[in-house]
Amino acid sequence: MSLTGTPRPAADAAVAVAVSGLSVRIASREILRGISAGFARGRVTAVIGPTGCGKTTLLRSLNRLNDQRPGMRVEGEILLEGQSVYGRGRDVRDLRRRIGMLFQRPNPFPQSIRENVALGARVHGLWRREEVDRRVEELLRRVGLWDAVHDRLGSSPFALSGGQQQLLCMARALAVDPQVLLLDEPTSALDPHSTARIEELIGSLRERITVVFVTHNLQQAARCADEVLFLLAGEVVEQAPVGDFFQRPADLRSRAYIEGKPV
Amino acid sequence: MSFFPAAQGTGRRAGPLPIGRPVPLRDADLTRRDRLARWGLLLAAAIPTAMLLLIAALMVAQSVPAFRYAGWGFFTGRVFSFGNLYVTKLQVQNGVPAPHGATYGAFTFIFGTLVSSVIALLVALPLAVGAVLALTERVPTRLQSTVSIFFELLAGIPSVVYGFWGILVLGPLLAAHLYPVLGRLGALVPFFRGSVGYGEGLLTASLILTLMIVPIIATTTRELVRGVPILAKEGALALGMTRYETARVVTLPYVRRGIWAAALLGWARALGETMAVLLVSGNLLNGLPANIFSPFSTMAATIVAMLDSALTDATGMAVHALAALGVVLLVITVATNLLGRLIIRRVAGGAVLPVGRGI
Repeated sequence: MSLTGTPRPAADAAVAVAVSGLSVRIASREILRGISAGFARGRVTAVIGPTGCGKTTLLRSLNRLNDQRPGMRVEGEILLEGQSVYGRGRDVRDLRRRIGMLFQRPNPFPQSIRENVALGARVHGLWRREEVDRRVEELLRRVGLWDAVHDRLGSSPFALSGGQQQLLCMARALAVDPQVLLLDEPTSALDPHSTARIEELIGSLRERITVVFVTHNLQQAARCADEVLFLLAGEVVEQAPVGDFFQRPADLRSRAYIEGKPV
Repeated sequence: MSFFPAAQGTGRRAGPLPIGRPVPLRDADLTRRDRLARWGLLLAAAIPTAMLLLIAALMVAQSVPAFRYAGWGFFTGRVFSFGNLYVTKLQVQNGVPAPHGATYGAFTFIFGTLVSSVIALLVALPLAVGAVLALTERVPTRLQSTVSIFFELLAGIPSVVYGFWGILVLGPLLAAHLYPVLGRLGALVPFFRGSVGYGEGLLTASLILTLMIVPIIATTTRELVRGVPILAKEGALALGMTRYETARVVTLPYVRRGIWAAALLGWARALGETMAVLLVSGNLLNGLPANIFSPFSTMAATIVAMLDSALTDATGMAVHALAALGVVLLVITVATNLLGRLIIRRVAGGAVLPVGRGI
């Protein structure tokens, strides 16, 4: 759905996801207004901003999860590794397999713990039971859940704690080997211990996966992110490396936001 | 009304609310309206319970002579006859007198009731669930409520209309086009072997019942499917699953238990359905249906069909026999209900996943 006249995103070799001139409106409400930003490959980019500034909408535009919303219109261009996300003939299922997502609250499938992860493994053509089992174990170990669940893989994930459920969702998201991982305030419903675990995991994904991380928690952004993208009322205020953003914000509004003053 | 007596009377709250220690609700704390409401609600709860017990007790009392006369033969016998109501000669069996030649064997009706309702349920369940998934996943949102009105209208059609339509239109249509094809299955399944008839019989009745219970199962299932958290479905969509896969992996497991309950509601309706079945059953009194196409009868249909002549029995035994049919039907309905609840509890408590919980 590219609009003629919008600038093509710069063919920056280090950018995995390039957004240019992205406007999203739902009915008559304009949620995003001409957003341009780049998400560096293998880096963690924190998207911050006050409630209602369009962080989640931006995130959900990247994997086209907003497609089904009635009255939704998207303009501008998003490129994933140089290929248009909204381009004609784009296979949405294929797109979503390249882009994993973690939500505000854990949402494991009402299937067994094993099956939650195995479903992703099967997407990759693993059908033999031993192969799937091996992959499930590998992923559960990677998120640090194996020791807690290895003796109850067949039981319900809903008996797990919220943090464990979110880790399971992380294993599920990683099972399809995504190039990009979208995190929509994944720790907002979790206890400090699980939050630390998730943050640790995000750190371990660096270099391998491009992470776009929506958070309300500025400390968390400072801890986990390489870059910060600050949105305000549907527009980009500033995109900068994390150190620069927090120590030498280029925009007055960024400074006000960091200091907790009204922006 | 206050649950915290400390706050009462003074008009202001005396100190912090007692959080750790629950304060029991004392009679003295109730206003007159509270007391009135309490008794009113108690009465409202007692009436349905009393009604059920009263109906059951009266039916059982009416049926006892017939059970005594027929013994276990009531459940195993395949001949149901009031005997010769035109002569005064009586026949005494187990100390109970009845008209000469009277035989009360209800097996054929018990069989007919169970088999027709189970066939109806087996056809209706996938149909209803499939229709709901098609409705919620395929039909555009703004058309959904319009389409679902038809489900509700379908549930509201009087059963005699279903029966009438079944005997005039659906039965002949099926007998001419569908049944000859199904009859070829006779080579494999004995129950499909033989004459396909003219459209009055077990399968036609079952299919009419199917039409009647699909809306019941579908409307219940639709509400359940609407209740599935959007977040759970988005998890599947974000993983690149199709809507079909999302339904299989997320939606259906979420509503599984509720679908069992919906199926039970539908089954209960099919078990007790009278008029529509009576019209299309072919009303075979003495004997089991030869195949799935042939005439049969159910307990409910037989009660209606034979009550008129039963009332002419001077000994009263014929009415007792029909009451006995009613008791068996009541017991089967209650038993299936309890069995269903047991299944639901086992599904909930066992290794199978909980539904609608956890997020």
